[in-house]
Amino acid sequence: MPPRASKRKSVPPNSSTVTSSDGRSVSNKAKTKGMEKIDRLFNTYANSSLGMIDPEGIEALCADLGVDYTDVRILMLAWKLKSEKQGYFTREEWQTGLKALGVDSLSKLKKALPELEKEVEKPSNYEDFYTYAFRYCLTEEKQKSVDIESICELLNLVLGVQFRPQVDSLVEYLKIQNDYKVINADQWINFLRFCKEISFPDLRNYDANQAWPLILDNFVEWMREKQS
Amino acid sequence: MSNQKKRNFQIEAFKHRVVVDPKYAEKTWKILEHAIHEIYNHNASGLSFEELYRNAYNMVLHKFGEKLYSGLVTTMTAHLKEISKSIEAAQGDLFLEELNRKWNDHNKALQMIRDILMYMDRTYIPNSRKTPVYELGLNLWRDNIIHSGKIQSRLLSTLLELVHRERTGEVIDRGLMRNTIKMLMDLGSSVYQDDFEKPFLEVSAEFYKVESQKFIECCDCGDYLKKAEIRLNEEIERIAHYLDVKSEAKITNVVEKEMIANHMTRLVHMENSGLVNMLLDDKYEDLGRMYNLFKRVPNGLSMIRDVMTSHLRETGKQLVTDAESSKDPVEFVQRLLDERDKYDKIICQAFSNAKTFQNALNSSFEYFINLNSRSPEFISLFVDDKLRKGLKGVSEEDVEIILDKVMMLFRYLQEKDVFEKYYKQHLAKRLLSGKTVSDDAERSLIVKLKTECGYQFTSKLEGMFTDMKTSQDTMQGFYANHPELAEGPTLVVQVLTTGSWPTQPTITCNLPTEMAALCEKFRSHYLGTHTGRRLSWQTNMGTADIKATFGKGQKHELNVSTYQMCVLMLFNNADRLSYKEIEQATEIPASDLKRCLQSMACVKGKNVLRKEPMSKDIGTDDAFFVNDKFTSKFYKVKIGTVVAQKESEPEKLETRQRVEEDRKPQIEAAIVRIMKSRRVLDHNNVIAEVTKQLQSRFLANPTEIKKRIESLIEREFLERDSDDRKLYRYLA
Repeated sequence: MPPRASKRKSVPPNSSTVTSSDGRSVSNKAKTKGMEKIDRLFNTYANSSLGMIDPEGIEALCADLGVDYTDVRILMLAWKLKSEKQGYFTREEWQTGLKALGVDSLSKLKKALPELEKEVEKPSNYEDFYTYAFRYCLTEEKQKSVDIESICELLNLVLGVQFRPQVDSLVEYLKIQNDYKVINADQWINFLRFCKEISFPDLRNYDANQAWPLILDNFVEWMREKQS
Repeated sequence: MSNQKKRNFQIEAFKHRVVVDPKYAEKTWKILEHAIHEIYNHNASGLSFEELYRNAYNMVLHKFGEKLYSGLVTTMTAHLKEISKSIEAAQGDLFLEELNRKWNDHNKALQMIRDILMYMDRTYIPNSRKTPVYELGLNLWRDNIIHSGKIQSRLLSTLLELVHRERTGEVIDRGLMRNTIKMLMDLGSSVYQDDFEKPFLEVSAEFYKVESQKFIECCDCGDYLKKAEIRLNEEIERIAHYLDVKSEAKITNVVEKEMIANHMTRLVHMENSGLVNMLLDDKYEDLGRMYNLFKRVPNGLSMIRDVMTSHLRETGKQLVTDAESSKDPVEFVQRLLDERDKYDKIICQAFSNAKTFQNALNSSFEYFINLNSRSPEFISLFVDDKLRKGLKGVSEEDVEIILDKVMMLFRYLQEKDVFEKYYKQHLAKRLLSGKTVSDDAERSLIVKLKTECGYQFTSKLEGMFTDMKTSQDTMQGFYANHPELAEGPTLVVQVLTTGSWPTQPTITCNLPTEMAALCEKFRSHYLGTHTGRRLSWQTNMGTADIKATFGKGQKHELNVSTYQMCVLMLFNNADRLSYKEIEQATEIPASDLKRCLQSMACVKGKNVLRKEPMSKDIGTDDAFFVNDKFTSKFYKVKIGTVVAQKESEPEKLETRQRVEEDRKPQIEAAIVRIMKSRRVLDHNNVIAEVTKQLQSRFLANPTEIKKRIESLIEREFLERDSDDRKLYRYLA
């Protein structure tokens, strides 16, 4: 995204005022009228020197939407926007995403959130969203794994509603075990499969001789010891 | 007068007067009947065979076959009934004799009668489908004598009585028995079976049931088996003498069942005399007997095998986990070898070298030898001991025998890679200290290991031998190039290729100046001919021979380690040295220095140094002097050789860690190999294939394999299949 020519420093926007069209985009991507509105909304929150919405902007957006910025719906929004970098929305991402949502104003966006939730929870999307959540945490270049702390939070956020007991036990285990300091993508995706396929808390149909990652073998062993 | 009509004169065939005289048949029959009577009354000599034959022939010809036949039946039956009475009348023992006699008579009579009635036998009888004469005679005998109410049961009980008497040790008339039994057999196999064999088998079963119960209460296992064997042989002999050979299998079955099968378990587990005791006491004869007897019954041999296996596993386990025996590795292995020899001999001598027993022996050894994780180390130490001194003076064939036995134990090891590691260490020490008893024996063992495990296993070991040889050549070259050094101290350098020898930390120390200079010269010489290489002195592994003169002029040649040499040479320039001074001057690491000083100052007979204070341990404030009073019987005194020892705990842990580390790449290589060729494979099969591939080196742990798979997934060599989580895919 080319940086804006204006040297004006960004001002975190107040509740509902929209800044004047000082912030009209230099980019020639905003063509249609609908896009104009979306664009304007973008500019409300964007960091002018960066040309994209930064964490502060997102925080403000959240406040306007009446949603906590740690709420899972923001993650879902990021997913919908196909946002690449955690904490930032680019103009393209914003435009494509809001268009896909069919919204072009704050109030419409607010109304669209529950539908977004339902969309994510559709089985065909859920796994994609889940995997996305992990990728979103890979902030450094070439980073392949995420530290345990963050994983625990992410698990809570993403799976907490649907699989509360599993998440609680898993988080407890992850915090006390020493074998792994980070979790990789393979292990992450298998957490979801575990929750979906294995009966809980009896773990009756878990077979350690199958291709489950070792961390889950250890988790199950730990659970079974606790239960006996 | 002659005027009468001429009558034709016809010659007619001369015709006997055919008298279809009803009385004809009767008359002829009466003749024959009379003959039969005479035959039965032993009066046959007065009869004319020809006449009787003709009479019978005529009767049949004139269609009186029916009368003849029925007459025969009636007459014979009548006679048999009389005979029956006379047999019944016989008292006691005479019963059987009488029966036999009458049977013989009957047979003779029957033959004669058959001969007389042969024409009928050949014509009328087949035509009317009646029983032939001979067979008829037997049947009639059977029905009227054998199955007669009064005789049938008496016959059976007499026979059984006799058998029983013989079994209890009496002598009976075997000829009589034989004839009687033969009679029954002749009467038809069903007669033999129903009238004798079946009851015989039942009674025998009962007899042996009782007897076996009696024996088992009062005999020990070996004696019981002897008795059983005797009984079995008796029965076989009985068959041979007077019973039908077809009964052999049946009666032996009875004996086997009653005496052996029914008591098998109790015999085998009998206290103080059962199988286990026999094994412990090497009772080859008893074991052989048990083997032969048990072979005859179902599951007999497998019972022996199972008991032997579990006993062997138990003793083996104790042997191997016994803390005492673990203290001396050579002893430990020797006991294993002895145990194996013992069982080998037992299987060979008593169990006819049966393959299944051999297998049981092997699997038991494999089981318990791996219970002790130090077995690989100990076996290597055993070999080390043998190659250092144990095989001194032993003939070449005996050396081979011992090495082959060691190889057998080696084959049982699951963790062959651990053995390899230790073997390398011990071999290195042997080679470098020149302490190997026989080069041939060393090489012979390497060859055996190569045959067993492949080239890769031994390539590094062979590299070590090569280095030794090359170093010799290098030394020659060195001295050839520097003839001026021939006067000074003699240097012997072994140049070791890093990859082949066990890794050592390189610690140098300060060599005495003379040595340091010499070593430098060697270094430049070597690097002159081998550019691009790097040499590092391993001062912790060297030895030195130094000549020393003590206070009273005693001269000795001391064989010491390099470290010790460094310490001793210091005393050429000082009378008294403190620990700290020595440490500073030589820069030998503290623990090694302490050991080195200890071996020279605190060991009787090797105390070339004197220490103040005279305590056993080396303290950092101690002071050292040359021991002017040092004496030894020998001119050459050996102090501190570098002997392969059982590892201490921390060393053991370190070796084990290194082994584990080495295994990781091997497991990964195996996984990649397999996945590359299969492209897609499910989890369980990957584990199975990897384990199989690595089997010859060590037993791969499924958890470890899983870890490696996950690591490979992370590094993007493999991926999980998106649909079927159990499958892995190879990523090219």
